[in-house]
Amino acid sequence: MSVIEIDVVSKAFRIPAVRRETVREHIFGLLEPRRFQRLQVLDRVTFAVERGEALGIMGRNGCGKSTLLKTICGIYRPDSGRVYARAPITPILELGVGWNPELDAIDNVCLIGSVMGLPLRDIWKRMDRILAFAELERFANLKLKHYSSGMSSRLGYAVAFEAVRDTLVLDEILAVGDAGFKERCVARYRELRAAGHTMLLVSHDPHLIAAFCDRVLLLDDGRIVMEGAAGKVADRYLSMLTHAGTPQLQ
Amino acid sequence: MTNASAETERDSTRSVPVGTEPSGAAPRAVIARAGLIWTLIRTDFKVRYHGTLGGFVWALLKPLTMFVILMSVFSFLFASNPDYKLNLIIGLFLWDFFAEGTKSGLVALDAKGFLLTKTRLPSWILVVTSVSNALITLGVFTVIILVFLAFAGHPPTWHAVALFVAYDAALVLIVVGFSLASSVLFLRYRDLNQLWDMVVQAGFFVAPIIYPLNILPERFHFYLFLWPPTPVIEFSRSALVRGVTPTATAHACLAGVVTICLVVGTIVFRRLGPRAAEYL
Repeated sequence: MSVIEIDVVSKAFRIPAVRRETVREHIFGLLEPRRFQRLQVLDRVTFAVERGEALGIMGRNGCGKSTLLKTICGIYRPDSGRVYARAPITPILELGVGWNPELDAIDNVCLIGSVMGLPLRDIWKRMDRILAFAELERFANLKLKHYSSGMSSRLGYAVAFEAVRDTLVLDEILAVGDAGFKERCVARYRELRAAGHTMLLVSHDPHLIAAFCDRVLLLDDGRIVMEGAAGKVADRYLSMLTHAGTPQLQ
Repeated sequence: MTNASAETERDSTRSVPVGTEPSGAAPRAVIARAGLIWTLIRTDFKVRYHGTLGGFVWALLKPLTMFVILMSVFSFLFASNPDYKLNLIIGLFLWDFFAEGTKSGLVALDAKGFLLTKTRLPSWILVVTSVSNALITLGVFTVIILVFLAFAGHPPTWHAVALFVAYDAALVLIVVGFSLASSVLFLRYRDLNQLWDMVVQAGFFVAPIIYPLNILPERFHFYLFLWPPTPVIEFSRSALVRGVTPTATAHACLAGVVTICLVVGTIVFRRLGPRAAEYL
């Protein structure tokens, strides 16, 4: 049985011509008609991810990858269609897991770890390992607002790699850190794969997708335009980037 | 089969189909949720008071200073009322919880946007735990009020203390109901916090905090009691200072106010909450 099933999911955002974000703007604009532009981000997307499978998602900027991941993770609600998730999902979206900049690394790990479903006792047991993975032991008591973006991303990956219970959703894996950190990420990724975890990866890097995924989806204008083996889809993605034409549905 | 789209507000562990969880998964999920609630309360306290007891004492000093100033000025004006200072401390401390709790609750989802946009969690927890700091302060104030009454020659009976704790609980539920609705509305109307600041400022004078209710004509009392903090403050004074238990009808009205706040808050939150992340 599929771990994740996306069943004819559509998602659109209504973009107003003029944004009204305050009560005052709504009152003063009461008599002015509002014009909206409809931005169809996901258009009848259907696919499934099997248990233990590594599925890659590729596509140009703005094709709907991030919205799709957020919909799968339950952060966004689809306008129509259904998302079936039969296992806990641990996401790293947009290179982060959601830090409180006013807290230090230890408190942030406790917060994010418990949000991801780890009991506090387990988080404390794994704290040293998480900090060591991110190479941030020396900065454990430093507030996250003083971290560089790379440091906070490393910490995010370290927590998620420890907290993952079944399915790991990674937006741009290996986009952060030095060669040593990337090596540790690859090793941990392979460990999780060997343990039977399901993986969902988004990347612009065809080589990386080819190396880590069993199957790949190519997304364009909110629709799946190709699905298949990593190498073929990566080639198609590269040709999309070099040829500006709209890809045909397959 | 579990529908994730309909389960945005639930914990992701719920999406494991029944019968496939490892043994002990359900108790572990409960512990994990308790851990999340505790961590949110602890980290909120740390951020707000810089993790020190001194920071928390500063938070207590604000209403205490207000009490000293108001008592110094208004006890001359209401010199004929021997219980004025007792009524003032009860009114001020309950009001401080209401004002602080609603202000924190209103911005709860926005302040925790870093979590809502990155991961899936039951967002109502963020709203309810946002009131925790004000709740800790209310707990300390409750003790201060009871000690103050005892020293002022009005040692409260156990019955009066029980009623006061019940009124505290009613006020907490009112604040939670308000926070549920206002936290999701704030994401759509970004000046709601400024409007609420104005309402709170005016509401301080609508609630009979610095003046006795009986100085106003009785025909206005009904309207003052429509402002939720008013019945809580007046009933608390009645039980603790005057030793009079409010009538069953009065309690029913307070229960009605609490129910309305909670029901309206829950309806608004359930309607707008699932799309909260899209407004962050």
